[in-house]
Amino acid sequence: MSDLQRAWAKRKLDTMPEPLSLAEEEPAEEETDFVPDLPEHLDDGDSSSASSASSASSTGTVIPSPSQRLFARPQGGARSWEPIPWTTYFERELFLEQDLNGDASSSSPSPPVSFPSSSSYRITHHVYLTSPSSQGGPLFVTHHGAGSSGLSFALVSAEIRRLLPNAGILSLDARGHGSTTVTSSPSTPEPPPLDLSLETLTQDLYNAILLTKRQMRWSQIPPLVLVGHSLGGAVVTSLALNPRSLAPHILGHAVLDVVEGSAMDALQSMHAYLSTRPTAFPSVESAIEWHVRSRTLRNSLSARTSVPSLLVPDNKNQDVAVVRADPEPNPTSSTSTPAPPSSTASSPSSSSSSSSSSSSTGNQRRPWHWRTDLAATQPFWEGWFAGLSRKFLSARGGKLLLLAGTDRLDTELTIGQMQGKYALQVFPDAGHFLHEDLPEKTAVSLVDFFRRNDRSALVLPPKVSDLLKQGKKV
Amino acid sequence: MNDLDRAIAQLRACRPIPEAEVRELCHKARELLIEEGNVVTVTAPVTICGDIHGQFHDLMELFRVGGDVPDTNYLFMGDFVDRGFYSLETFLLLLCLKVRYPDRMTLIRGNHESRQITTVYGFYDECMRKYGSANVWRYCCDVFDYLALGAIVLGAANSLGDRPQQENVQDDVEIEVCDHTGSIMSRFQRQLDDEESMTDNNHSHINNTRGHDGSSASPVVTSVTRGARGGGAGDTGERTGPPGSGASGSSGGSIGNPTGAVLCVHGGLSPLIDTVDKIRLLDRKQEVPHEGAMCDLLWSDPDEIDGWGLSPRGAGFLFGADIVKVFNHRNDISLIARAHQLVMEGFKEMFDSSIVTVWSAPNYCYRCGNVAALLELCDEPSGTGLFARSNGDASRSAGVSSNKGVMQEGDAVPRSGPARRYRVFQAAPQDSRGMPAKKPVADYFL
Repeated sequence: MSDLQRAWAKRKLDTMPEPLSLAEEEPAEEETDFVPDLPEHLDDGDSSSASSASSASSTGTVIPSPSQRLFARPQGGARSWEPIPWTTYFERELFLEQDLNGDASSSSPSPPVSFPSSSSYRITHHVYLTSPSSQGGPLFVTHHGAGSSGLSFALVSAEIRRLLPNAGILSLDARGHGSTTVTSSPSTPEPPPLDLSLETLTQDLYNAILLTKRQMRWSQIPPLVLVGHSLGGAVVTSLALNPRSLAPHILGHAVLDVVEGSAMDALQSMHAYLSTRPTAFPSVESAIEWHVRSRTLRNSLSARTSVPSLLVPDNKNQDVAVVRADPEPNPTSSTSTPAPPSSTASSPSSSSSSSSSSSSTGNQRRPWHWRTDLAATQPFWEGWFAGLSRKFLSARGGKLLLLAGTDRLDTELTIGQMQGKYALQVFPDAGHFLHEDLPEKTAVSLVDFFRRNDRSALVLPPKVSDLLKQGKKV
Repeated sequence: MNDLDRAIAQLRACRPIPEAEVRELCHKARELLIEEGNVVTVTAPVTICGDIHGQFHDLMELFRVGGDVPDTNYLFMGDFVDRGFYSLETFLLLLCLKVRYPDRMTLIRGNHESRQITTVYGFYDECMRKYGSANVWRYCCDVFDYLALGAIVLGAANSLGDRPQQENVQDDVEIEVCDHTGSIMSRFQRQLDDEESMTDNNHSHINNTRGHDGSSASPVVTSVTRGARGGGAGDTGERTGPPGSGASGSSGGSIGNPTGAVLCVHGGLSPLIDTVDKIRLLDRKQEVPHEGAMCDLLWSDPDEIDGWGLSPRGAGFLFGADIVKVFNHRNDISLIARAHQLVMEGFKEMFDSSIVTVWSAPNYCYRCGNVAALLELCDEPSGTGLFARSNGDASRSAGVSSNKGVMQEGDAVPRSGPARRYRVFQAAPQDSRGMPAKKPVADYFL
């Protein structure tokens, strides 16, 4: 396929004027990235686009320039930046309310632990859910990284379901991200402080799982596979290390592309990196385009799904921690069932309408801001990653580390790997968001990981002592 | 042969040989390896080495400590490539030596000798970098498929041979640990004499606690004449090396009785393999599969568990002392030597010295701070001793268990280990290697 494309590109280039030769790889990418409207059918074309994109990066010739338009196919829509609604990938979303001052409004079966904050706040956990089958499929609980959202796992969740049809996926928005909100109660006038400490996020994840169980009226918690990307990796590791009432249910934890040593090293350059990002975008589509063109996300399908949830329109920006991006009134522990993509119900597709409204009121050129101010989370950075390698190795259950490069291992995990303490998989072709870049491969790894750790299916050869007890000769 | 010697000289200088020569070398190596069985028979004396992982300069240090080829008979237990910066030179040199001195060099396959693993962990990239194409990598991978899966060492003596420079070598020394200069760091004597262990059934029950009961069964360390050699004050009775060496290989010593064979394999045992003959029946000429006996042999690890367990690695199994005991008994094996796991002290004996892990990549990945070890098994100095009692087949030994065939509860299980000399060594000095610059850190990690 790629040979064909290259040949095609070459032929095309022969007829082109000189200066365009720099963009040699682009046409191929452009073509494979052409996507019809039904995302599910696209995965093949999409993964090949990821690989062709990576080869493009190795030649270093990705130059966004107007001349590239010349390669656009005349019939239009060669590459769509149109957002894809979450309903394509998840069965439902839940809004799970909870008071944070200890006396849980949610009277959950095992009451969440009290919070250190003295004032009372109310958190609304927003989670995307596809239920496991009632015959006892596992539940993959996914936690995204800082600045991302629960939709980061949208594509991988669909791939998991394809491989393991009875599996469920619970993907939450962490506080300060996506549609999860923290509000002050009427009695507390001041706005809630930004608390993204590891303990708080771990507690949130714990609560969200229990609240989901209550909301869904599950008789018991399904077998859990915890999956976390980046910061989320630290959160799921922290939960796996101290799972409390979830202990009997957790089969293992999988950490995606974060290692203590290299993360700590990278923190120094984080501000430099953040300063190079745009602070705002003229439209959701342009934000999606930026994520793909900058190769932050190398899978346009995933970008179209996850990026809309990273942005909020400008007129609501002053209070982003409180107000949701969508115009719908906040339902209380409501369950919205799958709506057609065109529906208004809190799906990203509603963003276009709010986009037009905000631009008409604000009349700004770049009304779309980041939902999460990453620079403001700096006080928490070191706390997220300190001791991560040790915790990862000492938590019970299966352990899987997925990395985008072997050079990211620190000394402790290098030793641990060579002592056989965990499973390591490396996807050299992926970027940091490897589960978005390569959802298919990530899903295969996660499902294999579950299958190996599935206690109900595990049959090991008998122990010698048991054989002897039965009077058998060994 | 002249060409081969020239290639060896060039590789010893850590300079790659041309692609055409690699091709020819791999072709010859394949012709040689195809004649070997899945389980190669090796006769003592032999020096057994664990993972190398492309640490070329440390391999040179290993040859300096263990003796050069062909003076020393070597057995490498796999994982020659990946992670280190000189996988190519390391593997090609070992292969050249194998072709040049086939009887003095045994190579068995590790889990890194696989197409899938080498594409991720460095060997493939290294070949691309050094040759500009994947051809050399492809030639090497074809050789990987022909590497043996295991080896059986026969004729290992149960006393350490003569060491001319050593006064006062005792026959009952079972384990000797030396540093890289050959100075003795510690010695362990056999714990019980042969008759006792064969007849005393109780010992099978106290195997695991033997070290604590303080009687004659606890490990005995001979205080050797150290003087200038030992370096540390008051370290005569300890199981640690000289200060700063970081060496503290752990070994408890085994109960002495006549020596069985030593099985060498990269990873460990498999639930599908209960006799050595079953290894011989495998079709090994393929990429390492994701599961099954061949995969397990290259991936499994011993662990302090009962029976079999799930391996956290995602391939192979964990196996406990009972599994090793039964396997060794059934196959008349006194010791399993394996590699695969990083041991900070270079080697680690487990389960009453029925299995040992040998690790030969010092300061693994140039940063783990571990020492490395190699294991020397001697032959009987008189030449009359315990030669070839067994080739790993059940009941073929003239030894104790030939009339039993199966193990009953209460049998005196542990067989004697052969006498073992571990040489512990450290990484080659940093300035002897041209280490490539460190990669820049990734820019985004939240």
